[in-house]
Amino acid sequence: MNGRSLWERALLVAMVVLALLWVAPLFWMFTTGVKPTPEIFATPPRLLPGAPTLNHVHVVLTRWPFLRWLFNSVVVATATTTLSVAVSIPAAYVFARLRWRGRDVLFLVFLSSMLIPLEVNVIPLYFLMNRLQLLNTYPAVVLPMIGMPIGIFLLRQFFVNIPSELDDAARVDGCGNLRILWHVILPLSRPAIAALVIYMFTFAWNEFFWSMIALSSPGMFTLPIGLRALQGAYDIDYGILMAGASLAALPALVLFLFLQQSIIRGITMTAHR
Amino acid sequence: MPMVRRLRLAYAVEIALFLLPFAAFWILFRLGPVLYGFYISLFQWDLLGDVAFVGFGNYATLARDPRFWNALRTTLAFAAMAIPLIVGIGLALALFIFGVRRRPIGRWLEAGFFFPYLLTVSVVGLIWRWMMDPDFGILLIALRSAGLDAPSFLNEPRWVIPALALTTAWWLAGYRMVLFRAALEDIPDELYEAARLDGASGARIVVSIVLPLLRPAVLFALVLSTISGFIVFGQVLIMTAGGPGRASEVLALYLYRYGFEFLQMGLAAAVGVVLFAIILSLTLLSFRWLGYESHL
Repeated sequence: MNGRSLWERALLVAMVVLALLWVAPLFWMFTTGVKPTPEIFATPPRLLPGAPTLNHVHVVLTRWPFLRWLFNSVVVATATTTLSVAVSIPAAYVFARLRWRGRDVLFLVFLSSMLIPLEVNVIPLYFLMNRLQLLNTYPAVVLPMIGMPIGIFLLRQFFVNIPSELDDAARVDGCGNLRILWHVILPLSRPAIAALVIYMFTFAWNEFFWSMIALSSPGMFTLPIGLRALQGAYDIDYGILMAGASLAALPALVLFLFLQQSIIRGITMTAHR
Repeated sequence: MPMVRRLRLAYAVEIALFLLPFAAFWILFRLGPVLYGFYISLFQWDLLGDVAFVGFGNYATLARDPRFWNALRTTLAFAAMAIPLIVGIGLALALFIFGVRRRPIGRWLEAGFFFPYLLTVSVVGLIWRWMMDPDFGILLIALRSAGLDAPSFLNEPRWVIPALALTTAWWLAGYRMVLFRAALEDIPDELYEAARLDGASGARIVVSIVLPLLRPAVLFALVLSTISGFIVFGQVLIMTAGGPGRASEVLALYLYRYGFEFLQMGLAAAVGVVLFAIILSLTLLSFRWLGYESHL
């Protein structure tokens, strides 16, 4: 065994330890959520629950509209993702595949609006949604997240690299742009669309600041806002809070276990800019 | 001739129709609010709901408010700590994951480091608040039992920002890691092999080949993380609510409080405009500094 492989092995062991420490907070969350309260506050702390209990989970699920929050989150994330992908596809197409005056300037304008985080717009959005009488509804949360430039950006990057012979052939056959987009471009662009779906779903699933302002009745809360309400009600009752956090983390964990590689690959694609 | 003109018009209309759905949302809910926010910032609301035009009065009020300057300071302190942590840890992890990419365990390690990114900010905030609880936080207990004099981070003005930055790094570094790892894979293999044949050590390869080639990716990550550093909100609200005192009251929290607790909508809108101006100027500066045009 030479020096290099020994060194590599030591590094690998160190990284495995670090990775375990990295996910330890999750372990701590899950175990705290199923410990009876005295065990949570025991000194010295107990690593594993001695007498696991679902009491805290029960409180979260029965005294709070937790499943409703989950449902709201699914609705908001699905609607945001679907609509933003739907409006980004045709726009990305004309930026990537057609030539027209002002194209590059307009693209740059859209692109630079990536610098406008939702957060700086919450006051005007509040006024706007109030005037449209949409506060405390799904559209209030969904509408501001649809026109995100990342969508056009990501798809355009992909569309540009599709060989133009393909649409030339379709054009000779008398296809218009809409049919070329639908029959030629889209079938070849599944990876880019999947990447955008993953990105937008994650973004919408996690959106916090604006949702907290736009949604006011507990029945309309999404998961992050509902957890915030739990915290307001229980302060340092960590059994209940960790049970709630565990339940909220569970869908992401399950999805990730199944789709780990496609999620990571999708996120990676958003980097090729 | 009229035929050509008609065709041209049809082409323009078609392009406009393809752009319209996106552009409509973009104008109504992205560009529009920026302008509308500036307009709102020129007015003042009193507690009865009466509105008065005050010009740039709200901005003058901000400039005189020590609480605003405090919020700006905490935001800068947070950004100055969180951004290097996120980017630095992300880069270190990426280099390592790239190094073990041929081993099956590499995938699992990457998944472990990445996963926290998929958690919502409330979950992240709650977990770390619990771990840093002054009396029962496992992190404090562990540090103390290791003989370190661990302060109760979230209750100490000096430690609260680093604690929030660390939490944020745990949450987001995995995302940066995945992006950096992708950038590493774009570096042609021949470069590594040539260096290896020349007898360069692993560390040497990293320093002289990998890091220079990653420079654009790293700088780009710095720009994007800076934006997210300036709008930090959720983890602060959950973990400290701006405390102790106002030691962690960041700009977004200040905006939220003035807008929705003190109902000073004009002032809050002005904070939004200031935040936007800061982000815009920082980004433009760094674009110039990076020669960013070449990346578009």
